[in-house]
Amino acid sequence: MIRNLALICLMVFVLAGCGGSKPANVLQPNEAGRLTIYSTTDTEIFRPVIADFNTLYPRVVINYVELDSAPLNERVLDEHRGNTVQSDIIFSTAMDMQVKLVNDGLAARHVSANADNLPDWAQWRHEAFGLTFEPVVMLYNPRLLGSRRVPQSRADLAHMLAADPQFWQGRIGTYDIGQSSVGYLLATQDARQSSEFGALGKVMGSRGVRTYAKTSELIADIETGRIAFGYNVLGSYAKRRIAAGGNLKIIYPQDYTLAIVRTAVIPKRAPNPRSAHTFLEYLISIRGQNILARNSFLSAARSELGGAYGRIGITGSDIGPLRPIPLGPGLMTYLDRQKKDRFIANWQAMTGSGERPPLLQPDQAKN
Amino acid sequence: MNIFARSRSLRRSLLRQMTGLFLGGMAVLYWAASSYASIAADRSFDRLLAGSALSIAESLTVTAEGVRVDIPYSALDMLAAAPDDRVFYRVVAPGGGTVTGYTDLPAFETLVRGRGNRGADSEEYFDAVYRGEPVRFVVLGRQSANLAQKGWTWIQLGQTRNARDALARELLIQALIPIGLMTVLALVVLWFGIGQSLRPLDNLRAELVAKDPSDLSPIKASVPDEVAPLVDGMNGFMDRLEGNIRFLQDFIANTAHQLRTPLSALIVQLQLVERGTINDRAHGLKVANRSAKKLGRLIDQLLGDALIGHRSHLGRSENFDLKKMIARAVRDTVSMMEDHDIRFSCQLAEAPFLGDHVVIEEAVKNLIHNALTHGHRDGQAVEILLERNSEAYQITVMDRGSGIAPDFLQTAFERFKSGNSETGGAGLGLSIVRQAIEHQRGSVAITNRAGGGTCVALVLPLS
Repeated sequence: MIRNLALICLMVFVLAGCGGSKPANVLQPNEAGRLTIYSTTDTEIFRPVIADFNTLYPRVVINYVELDSAPLNERVLDEHRGNTVQSDIIFSTAMDMQVKLVNDGLAARHVSANADNLPDWAQWRHEAFGLTFEPVVMLYNPRLLGSRRVPQSRADLAHMLAADPQFWQGRIGTYDIGQSSVGYLLATQDARQSSEFGALGKVMGSRGVRTYAKTSELIADIETGRIAFGYNVLGSYAKRRIAAGGNLKIIYPQDYTLAIVRTAVIPKRAPNPRSAHTFLEYLISIRGQNILARNSFLSAARSELGGAYGRIGITGSDIGPLRPIPLGPGLMTYLDRQKKDRFIANWQAMTGSGERPPLLQPDQAKN
Repeated sequence: MNIFARSRSLRRSLLRQMTGLFLGGMAVLYWAASSYASIAADRSFDRLLAGSALSIAESLTVTAEGVRVDIPYSALDMLAAAPDDRVFYRVVAPGGGTVTGYTDLPAFETLVRGRGNRGADSEEYFDAVYRGEPVRFVVLGRQSANLAQKGWTWIQLGQTRNARDALARELLIQALIPIGLMTVLALVVLWFGIGQSLRPLDNLRAELVAKDPSDLSPIKASVPDEVAPLVDGMNGFMDRLEGNIRFLQDFIANTAHQLRTPLSALIVQLQLVERGTINDRAHGLKVANRSAKKLGRLIDQLLGDALIGHRSHLGRSENFDLKKMIARAVRDTVSMMEDHDIRFSCQLAEAPFLGDHVVIEEAVKNLIHNALTHGHRDGQAVEILLERNSEAYQITVMDRGSGIAPDFLQTAFERFKSGNSETGGAGLGLSIVRQAIEHQRGSVAITNRAGGGTCVALVLPLS
């Protein structure tokens, strides 16, 4: 009788302890498959990752569709509404939109040991996965700035912009948050994190800040000297340009440095779910993370590849606190229709006021 | 010698009952713990949900153009305390239109109907399935004072139940682990505790096994209070057994003595007749015949005594008619002893009685026989009366014999005490009568009659 009781107890505990990790539904290495990726990441940047994946799974044919984050999100939602889902996996820097997809119940679960090893902020519900950990920096053209002091924080920047209107007028650029989803995400995070944000916005506005829908255009304009300084630039893109020989310098703001997390979501109704799970599992594996970091200049999310500062290639003493934007329901706040409209309207009112002199010509940009 | 029947082990039956009790208790505790756990989990997460809804409510502004909401980041971010739960909200304007948020959330209107009259703005909770998952919702109302937007603005905020259910499960397991361990521990303690408690019984058994069969002295083993009555009972039983054995031994010794005397006399008389040493053979045989009859009578009485003793152990009882029974006893006795006059008088048409008729008949026969043997003189009749009052029957047997010596009246009913040594009764008769009547809850009394003779009265109570 005691033995029976012990057995029952054991069974109860075992059953209660069940529901741990089950192996993801993945492809065999030599299995043929198709995979459609919707991504906001430049095809060029992602190419090494796909190439490496294809050495492991040579018979998976990958269709990589590059889109801006807002149209990408619209397309995904449209496809869901029309029940014509074509994407197997979605990568986007618009973390808030990815979170919303999960919250709306459109994402599939992915459970694996690799997923459990991601940092807390890089994973939500086992449905949204942060692949990278990319600091958001200030970027400048050293040739244009010359011997001027380099601002080290937002307050510093605001002060400098206010102090020297003649130099800065029309020479600072940032995202157009009405068009760039990443820009909007970063601006809302700034608004949340920094008390200086309003002041900075105002002074940038009066210096005739130029706004860009695409990161690459913003960086290109700084590199070529059309403008001198970029605020809230994706560090990974900048580093890639620097590695390619671009004359650019990065500032990690001392007050705090945001880091965005490029987020992957597998749609629940993905046509090739096994390919999608295989690819996601590859991306969050140590191998995939290494390729992302070394070959694509997208610093890895997994802490096994070094400390937070080491992963983005700097020593901790150089910069202030790193603040990765955590994946979670809080991100949906700024997607609220009313809130978003008002935020963008405020931002545009704040930044659209200043006069904008014509862009400098690259050949004129000599100081 | 096992004092418990093999099929019923105290240990097993105790353990079975206790296990049943514990399992039943566990089931009740499981139910209680699980409902408590889900209430506790709901309560703690409801507070969070309400806090979030409140902070949204704080951001409401109602103007003539409509309701404006500025969802605070913290409102949704605080819900990330439940890290894996989805969050849904909407704000409903007084007209019923969704201002912002998920337009297709489950309706809550029935829940808050009539709230406008009550004016209370406390929150309401409900569960519903939304987008394929169970969701806990809170609804919070704010009454607007703006004339253009009169009425209630509602904030509906929902969160999936993963964290709640996980917390409830955790609470439940936390509660069940000690309960389970306690149950196992209790059963183990019980298993050994029963053995410990039953050890005195084993000692008792050992003492009984070691006891000499003739040793009826009280049991000396020390036993717990619960078993003491059993030992007392056994000691009492052995005490009575010892008394009975002593009585039987006395009885056998007496009987043997009583039988030996007339038997020896009979043998001597017969030897004399055989050898022809006595001249008058006929006289010798007559004497021997008398001795044999006396012996037969004695054996009769001894058997009667044994019969009554046996019957009194059986405790039989039946309905019969006393009148008929006495008539039968008279008939039987007279047929055995010729030439006697017995008068039986009874005014009752019938005399129903509940008792052992064999025992009572034996008693009556004994009395008649006594009366005929000792009280028969000069052709005087033996009289028998059967009367009845409200409480009892009385049977009176009267003779005109020599009576009983006054000294002997006290001891007339004891065994082997005969009041009349001349006629040579063995002294069993009256003792049998008393034993028989007392066994029927009756009483017997003997008196000397005025004018000579004895009167024996049997009283048999009706109930």
